[in-house]
Amino acid sequence: MNATPFEDASAGLRPEEFAEAAEAAIADALNQAPEARLAVLGAAGLFGVCADEASGGLGLPLDFAVPVVQAAGRLRLRWALAEQIVLARHLPDPALCSALIEGRHSASIACQGPIGRAWVGHARHAGQAHWMLVRSTDETGSQSAVLLDLAHAPHQSDAALDPEEPLTWWDLSAAPVLARLDAARTEALWHDLEILLAATAHGAAEGALQAAVSHTGTRVQFDAPLSSRQAVRHWLARMKLYHEAGGAAIARALQRNEWGQARSGRTALALNLQHGAFIIEKAMHLHGGMGFTWELPLHRALRELRAIDAALGAGSLARGLGRDFIHQQTEAA
Amino acid sequence: MQRDLPPGDLSTGALPPPHDTRRHARDWLRANLPDHMRTDSLAWRSPTLDESRDWEAAMHRAALAGMTWPQAYGGHGQSLREHLAVNKEIGALLMPESVGSIGKELAGPIIMAVGTEAQKQGFLAPILRMEQFWCQGFSEPDAGSDLARLRTKAVEENGFWRINGQKIWTSGAAKAHHCLLLTRTGTVADKHRGLLMFAVPMDTPGIRVVPIKSIDGKESFAEVFFDDVVVPDSARLGAPDEGWSAALRVLGIERATNRMYRPWRFECELGFLLRALASDPEQARQLQDGGVQRRVGELLAEIDGLKGLVERTVNQLMQGDSIGARGSLTKLFWSESHQAFAGFALGLVSQIGPQSSPLARRARQAFTQAYLFARAETIYAGTSEVQLDLIAQRILQLPR
Repeated sequence: MNATPFEDASAGLRPEEFAEAAEAAIADALNQAPEARLAVLGAAGLFGVCADEASGGLGLPLDFAVPVVQAAGRLRLRWALAEQIVLARHLPDPALCSALIEGRHSASIACQGPIGRAWVGHARHAGQAHWMLVRSTDETGSQSAVLLDLAHAPHQSDAALDPEEPLTWWDLSAAPVLARLDAARTEALWHDLEILLAATAHGAAEGALQAAVSHTGTRVQFDAPLSSRQAVRHWLARMKLYHEAGGAAIARALQRNEWGQARSGRTALALNLQHGAFIIEKAMHLHGGMGFTWELPLHRALRELRAIDAALGAGSLARGLGRDFIHQQTEAA
Repeated sequence: MQRDLPPGDLSTGALPPPHDTRRHARDWLRANLPDHMRTDSLAWRSPTLDESRDWEAAMHRAALAGMTWPQAYGGHGQSLREHLAVNKEIGALLMPESVGSIGKELAGPIIMAVGTEAQKQGFLAPILRMEQFWCQGFSEPDAGSDLARLRTKAVEENGFWRINGQKIWTSGAAKAHHCLLLTRTGTVADKHRGLLMFAVPMDTPGIRVVPIKSIDGKESFAEVFFDDVVVPDSARLGAPDEGWSAALRVLGIERATNRMYRPWRFECELGFLLRALASDPEQARQLQDGGVQRRVGELLAEIDGLKGLVERTVNQLMQGDSIGARGSLTKLFWSESHQAFAGFALGLVSQIGPQSSPLARRARQAFTQAYLFARAETIYAGTSEVQLDLIAQRILQLPR
């Protein structure tokens, strides 16, 4: 197999330097028709960045996928990229991994809804996907997951949040099972997904912040750029503050904790969803009337971020974090 | 149950700090911190100045203070990474804030950067041994954040300096042995030019300290008047302009690396609040509320971001990177998040009464006081607005 452009770029680079290569590939995909994007992203090697080399992946640590999905968020790529990267890394069947890595198939992940319930939703861009991973429990009651084929599954579109990329509700009661993930694989996949969704939100916020800085630096009112006004400067500074804190939380989640264990990505995800929404909403506000238009693409970033939040239960992530910490403290007492 | 000690702190990347540093910090602090100095202890009482001084001196002898200062000046010659490892353990206990912080966090590093060898030998080790307290004479009634409006004047006279002026918001002035005093040699029209620093003994004739009572009922800061105060040239810290410029560079780093324990202390405070509520059956019901659980989760996420900012700063400094105004990020994020937490905590403890559990009553006392003190957090060491200006100007580089 010939080296992908991404493989060429990966030689000797640090994770943050991956952003440039990822950005070029994503920009290329965005110039294609939606139906051609899967092949373009696959050919660029983006899906296999952390996947096993035996399956055709690059076998790199999760750090290297962070700038990839961050670039996707920044450029407002409407694709379940984070989901496809973690599935390509954690599915047990190398043939399925290869199909995802090469872009022959696409997949998403339902963040809520156990198998057996009639309608399963909350999977990003599932309308574009061939397969969907759904949470389940194994015979011991442990958390597990199954990969289902969506080919003939009945589904309904829900365009309330995004008329161009509607949420899709699926009846998966008769969907064929393609793979089963045991508790360990499921846990590892979910860990990676939380961090990559955090990075996706972080990237979306970064794009909005850049747009706001650029617009307010060039839009002249009362003989001066908007960003020379203290009120505007302070909003931009606060957006930068929240963006930096979100990035620092992701960097921290990628490092092992004091006991040598992998850190959960839940806090980083909660923080980036909370801060990301603030940054994008404020960026829209700072664009004035333009911020309310369809033409300015910030609304796409906001829909994408709100879709992630909804998929995770709209605030239930933070509530779960709080509940667990309260339990831990009261047990200690 | 005591958890096993970590094999090393991998959270800062690169090489973990030596196991022994953190193990030593944890063991020593838990063995030696008196119960009455732990905010979450039923035995707590406000420590006297002597008790606080003795505790901090003992921490220094135990190699837990002055970590990064050179051994030649009484420090322990360790790296910032080890300093961070110790700070995580300091943050994991609810102990009193330092009473020697102006000396250790401000005066000491500035003296190290611009002082003469005699000044370094004379001042630095006594600061760490807690033999000398310092106060900071920067703010004036007409010059708070804007030091260009500074009026306190220093005039050279035959190898001596005559100083006249007034300082305000001077923390710890009543107990201080020395003042790190910022003056100007010219006129206010010179703005940022002609600024000159001194190490002024507080028992010099002409100095008058008038305490100011703060909203927490304490007299921890003061107005300080300088009326024809004469000091020798040996009290000068650096040359005019040069000394202050160097000090600004030092302060940028200090702002980013002082009190690195804050996010870990914040988490510890949150844990204490929850344990105290859980200790009382009636108050424990609040913990079942979904809104309370969600707010706790949001605070944990913010604490995590704050830890990340601190660890990133240490990594950058260890790699020799310049951090510029990035200290403003940590200060601003901590102060606003912690202040909001204090308001949240006050709401939760406000229903605790005489019938409540002893730990709940201790928490009511502690968090009510914390709420009042938290009003200062977005003011001191540069207000939130000053920090936002710094981020806008130096990090985002927005047009003026």
